[in-house]
Amino acid sequence: MADIRDRYDALVIGGGIAGMQAALDLGEQGFEVLLVERTPSIGGVMVGLNKVFPTLDCSSCICTPRMAESAHHPRIRLQTYTEVRQVEPVGTGFRVELECKPRYLNEDTCIGCDECELACPIEVPHEFDYGLGARRAIYIPHGNAIPQKAVLDLEHCIFCGKCEKVCPTSCIDFTAEAKQVRVDVGTVIVATGLEILPMDKKPEYGGMLPNVMSPLAMERIQSSNGPYGRVLRPADGKIPRSIAYIQCAGSRDRSIGVPYCSRVCCMYALKQALLLRHYIHGVEVALYYMDIRAFGKGYEQFYRRAVAEGVNVIKGKVARVTQADNFDLILRVELLDEGGRVDEHRYDLVVLSQGLIAAWHPDGVIDIEDADDGFIHTPEIKLNPSFTTMPGVFVGGVAAGPKDIPDAIVEAGEAAMAAANYLKRYRWRSSKPVAAVA
Amino acid sequence: MPESTPSKADKPKRAIEVLRERHGGMSKELKEYFNEQQKIYKALRAALKNGPRTVPELAKDCNLPAPAVMWHLMALRRYGQVLDGPEENGYLLYTLPRA
Repeated sequence: MADIRDRYDALVIGGGIAGMQAALDLGEQGFEVLLVERTPSIGGVMVGLNKVFPTLDCSSCICTPRMAESAHHPRIRLQTYTEVRQVEPVGTGFRVELECKPRYLNEDTCIGCDECELACPIEVPHEFDYGLGARRAIYIPHGNAIPQKAVLDLEHCIFCGKCEKVCPTSCIDFTAEAKQVRVDVGTVIVATGLEILPMDKKPEYGGMLPNVMSPLAMERIQSSNGPYGRVLRPADGKIPRSIAYIQCAGSRDRSIGVPYCSRVCCMYALKQALLLRHYIHGVEVALYYMDIRAFGKGYEQFYRRAVAEGVNVIKGKVARVTQADNFDLILRVELLDEGGRVDEHRYDLVVLSQGLIAAWHPDGVIDIEDADDGFIHTPEIKLNPSFTTMPGVFVGGVAAGPKDIPDAIVEAGEAAMAAANYLKRYRWRSSKPVAAVA
Repeated sequence: MPESTPSKADKPKRAIEVLRERHGGMSKELKEYFNEQQKIYKALRAALKNGPRTVPELAKDCNLPAPAVMWHLMALRRYGQVLDGPEENGYLLYTLPRA
């Protein structure tokens, strides 16, 4: 791979679906883009999802073509496993300091054959499967990862050297070190995405119990390339016969600092609940909600379909989740449609519909502001929704606030357009324009 | 006079040795983690030699907590060292692949 140049038109921070969309939109307009991703693969949260609502398309099947397009676009330079350390305004543009973390191999000669991973003798929890599955100390991030290159996690390396011995292209390079790179760019798009609220935020919901899961872990369990190969419960491998979803488990709750609605939880829970009805014959799926917010195109119809196909939606506020001796879970719930009657139900598995929080904060890296909700502040929310508090720096996707995939893509496109306008206004070019032949 | 054979100290270091030295070798915690993992795998393989087992059965046979058995079994499954089989009383049976 060619070295990073010292000048690009745009820096896009984050290689999830929003960052890829922004990079592609700028690249298609003729701008040279540096797309930086902090993990070893692009694709973000979306590539790990099972299916998307309301179409039930396979998520990775519609995400991977965008990933490939971003990686192979002639005007997009992809830089994975790299942190943005500093973005400083210089004139109308920006000086950017990057830290390229070492994969401990030569990316140009690694062929992604997996031999090193197969030879590595230690297994550790895999981040891609939210800890439910295993990976090895040297590993290819996942089957759909782009680039398909291995990465050595030095923290878990036992220094046996087996990976080096089996590598057919001798690409392992234990002497590699992090590289500091300085780049000048004309504009910056922040597309740093989301995290799910930590599971221990509300201890009364039992988030640390083995059979109480995050919705992203459930996405992996439902995925055909997931950690178990089918839906099983993590504590003992039982095929669950009854599953409960607790809505607003990590949103609309001032006590945990998330007063806002995360906008996607109703729909992802309904989608997962419906799919569970498809995957496990006769499974009981209950969804405890405050109110269902099915606001998007086709979402209300999807809600009706889920109910019609046997998802039991119950207006109720769960107070507590406790574990029985056999890892079953007991929900204590106030049933709002029954005059507030308090009841207890037993389930095999519980999913907490945790809210979305910002995955990254700009403090100390770039002088833009977070809003009170922790997402990037967008002061001109009505007419210029991708503008941040610094001219020339734009924001797209969930970095600016919770939203679903279509909205993240639309907003990333808007950020790309605003960034293109900014570049045109200040006549920034990273390279000489190609002469047009009449 | 024959040339003297280079001593071990003169031998150029392999890259892995340089890396090990640079990072102070394996931490005590990682060493314990790795040894414990090998013990669990050994126990699981020994139990599975007696025939297909579910996770709760393996937990009982190996005297290990079921969640730990589940995680390690899935790690073995991921790398083809254990296969999942038919269902029995709401659990899957796991087996060792044929040698």
